[in-house]
Amino acid sequence: MQRRQFILSGIAVAAASSLGIGVWGWQHSFTPNHANRDLVLSALLPALLLGALPTAATLAEAELIRTKTAIADFIPFLPLRQQQELHQLFNLLAQRLTQLGLTGHLSRLTSLSLPQRLSLLAAWRDSYLQLLQQAYHGLRELLYGAYYGQPEHWVALPYQAPRFR
Amino acid sequence: MTVKHIDASTLTHDQHYSADVVIIGSGAGGGIAAEQLTAAGFQVLLVEEGAWYQREDFVMEERWAYPQLYQEGAARKTRDQAISILQGRTVGGSTTVNWTSSFRTPAATLDYWQQQFGLAFQAEQSLIPFFALAEQRLNMQPWSLAPNANNQQLQRGCTSLGWHSGVISRNVNGCANLGYCGFGCPINAKQSMLVSTIPAALAQGATLLSRLSVRQLNWQGNKIHSLSALPVNAYFQPQKGINVTISAKHYIVAAGAIGSPALLLRSKVPDPSKRLGKHTYLHPSVISGAIFDERIAGHQGAPQSIYSDQFVWPQDKEHIGYKLEVPPVHPVLMATKLTGFAEQHALLMQQFDHLQVTIALLRDGFHPDSQGGHVQLDQFEQPLLDYPISDYLWQGMRKALLSMAELQFAAGAKQVLPIHHDAQAYRSWSEARQAIHNLALKPLKQTVVSAHVMGGCNMSAKEQDGVVDSFGRHFQLENLSIFDGSILPSSLGVNPQLTIYALVWRNCQQLIQQLT
Repeated sequence: MQRRQFILSGIAVAAASSLGIGVWGWQHSFTPNHANRDLVLSALLPALLLGALPTAATLAEAELIRTKTAIADFIPFLPLRQQQELHQLFNLLAQRLTQLGLTGHLSRLTSLSLPQRLSLLAAWRDSYLQLLQQAYHGLRELLYGAYYGQPEHWVALPYQAPRFR
Repeated sequence: MTVKHIDASTLTHDQHYSADVVIIGSGAGGGIAAEQLTAAGFQVLLVEEGAWYQREDFVMEERWAYPQLYQEGAARKTRDQAISILQGRTVGGSTTVNWTSSFRTPAATLDYWQQQFGLAFQAEQSLIPFFALAEQRLNMQPWSLAPNANNQQLQRGCTSLGWHSGVISRNVNGCANLGYCGFGCPINAKQSMLVSTIPAALAQGATLLSRLSVRQLNWQGNKIHSLSALPVNAYFQPQKGINVTISAKHYIVAAGAIGSPALLLRSKVPDPSKRLGKHTYLHPSVISGAIFDERIAGHQGAPQSIYSDQFVWPQDKEHIGYKLEVPPVHPVLMATKLTGFAEQHALLMQQFDHLQVTIALLRDGFHPDSQGGHVQLDQFEQPLLDYPISDYLWQGMRKALLSMAELQFAAGAKQVLPIHHDAQAYRSWSEARQAIHNLALKPLKQTVVSAHVMGGCNMSAKEQDGVVDSFGRHFQLENLSIFDGSILPSSLGVNPQLTIYALVWRNCQQLIQQLT
C-alpha cells in the first residue's frame, strides 16, 4: 500500500496517541463518499460562517446548500493528489474520530455543539501537528472560497459582479 | 481564412501531428515564439493544456475564472501547503490573467547573472532592443490615469515617509480601468498573448491544439524524435484513452517554471548539472491589510499602477530585498487570505470595501540562504513544488510586514492587519510594530503567496551550471529549446512578463537563424 494513503490517517494516529487512545481502525478510504462529505460540511460550515450566514433559518439553509454544491463543483479541478487527501479527510472526520484536537468524550462531529465545533477549528489551527494545521487551512480556504464565490452572498460586502456585456 | 484550432478533448481517435516546430505552452514564452517562428515561415504547432477561452467566454466572477483559467483552480500550493501560487492555465497562459505590470529586468539582476552564471546580457548581448520591441508590440506604457484608491494609499504612504514610489507600465490598449484583469480581460484591452501574438500566429498558418497535456518528450541520443500527449477532461485532468503524438524538427518547451521542469522530469532527459527542477523561485510574498475610513473598493480600477522599490535593493546584502505593490481585492481572494474564522472573519469581510491591501514580494535567489524550491512529481506524475522557507526569508518577511504596516499607518489607515494567523488588527504603528516583532513566523501561521514562478531550468554560460545555454538551448538535447520563466537563474525583483517576452524574442531570433 502506498505510504501516502496513511498520511491523513496519520492525523488520527497522532491525535489518538496524544490523547492516550489506542490505535483503532484508522484505515480510511480516499474514495469519494458524498454522504461523508455532506455530513462534515453540514457540521463545519455553520461554525466557519458564523456571522456571515443570514439569521433567518431558511435563508441560511439556502446559502449552505449553495455552498456545498459549489464545493462539490470545485473539487474535481484540484490535483488528484489533493482530491484524495480531501476525500480521506472527509471520510475520517465523518467517523468516530471527531475528538481530534479536543479533549473529552468521544463523539461524532455532528453531535458537537456550535461552540465545540469552533473550539475544534481553533484547536486544529493551533495544533502542534502540521497535518491538523493543513486540514484547518485546506478546509478553511475551500469552504470560504465556495461561500464567497456566490453572488448571492455578497450583500454584506458590498460587491457586485460587473456586467460588461 | 479558417483558423486552425483543434480542441483535443473532442478527439475520438489516436492522432499524430507533425510540424517544423512544436511549442508546448502558450504563455509569455510560447506566445512570443509562436508569432516569431510563424512569421519566419515555419510551420508551427502551439500546444496548450488549458482551453481556448476568449473575450466572449470570460465571466467576471472568481467562481468561474479560477477553475477555468488557473492552474489547480487557483488553489495550487507548495508541498507543505505554506505558499499559495497563482498561475494561469489557459491559452495565453498567465498573460491572460495577470495584472499587466510591465518592468524591464533590473540591471542589478543582470549583473548578478553575469557574476554567477556568466550571462553577459549587459554587454554585447544586450536585451535593451528586445525590451523595446516587446514594449512596442504589447503597448506597454506608464499608466496615465489616476491610480485607484488601493494604489493611491501605497503612493500616499510612500510620499508621507519619503520613500520611493513609481508608476507602473501596463500592457493595455483601450483599457477601461475596470479592475478585472485576473478574470481575463472582458474588452480585449490587455495585450496578452491571447489577443496579440497568438492570433497573429494563427492568421499566418500556425495551428493551435488546446486542452492537450504533453506527458513526455521521447528522445534518443541527443535528439527528441516525438512527444506523447493526452487530452484533458472538463476539469483539465489528463485522460488516458486517446493518445496524441507529435513529431517536429525542433521542440520548444514553454510550459512555465513548474510545468516545464515537470515535463523534462517525466521525460527523464539528461541532467548532468543536477539543476533540472531545482532553484525554483517564487517572489514569496506577504500581505498586509488595512482598514481606512474612506471607501477603497480595491476591486475597481487598474489593479496595479503604483509600486515602491524603497526596499528592493538594500545596501546591506545580508537582508533580502522586497518590492511593494498592491493586489486587486475580490471576495474569494480576500475571504481565503484574510485570517480568522466565524464572526471575526465575517466582520472583516463586512469591511471589504474599506480594505486596502499591500503586498511585499521578496527577491529570492540572490543569497546562499535563498536557493529556492524544487519541482517534484507526485504519484500521478503531476508537478509538486517543494519550497522550504529559510530563516533568511522569514527575517525578510518580518521586515516586510513592518514596512507595510508603517506605510499603511502613514497613509492614514485606522487599523492594520498583518496577514498572519496569530495577528490582530492593530490601531497604531507602535502597537503593530511591537506585535509584528513578536509574531512566530513559520509555515501556515504566516500566510505566504506567489504569483511569479521562475527558474527550474536555469540558463548558464557553462554546461555544469545550468540546464540551458544563454539562448535557451538545452545543453544535451540539440533540438530542444526552453523558452519561458523557467530559464531564469534567480528571481527578478520585478514582475516577470517583460523579461520573458524580451528573452524569448531574442532567443527566437537566434533559433530562426540556426534553423534556416
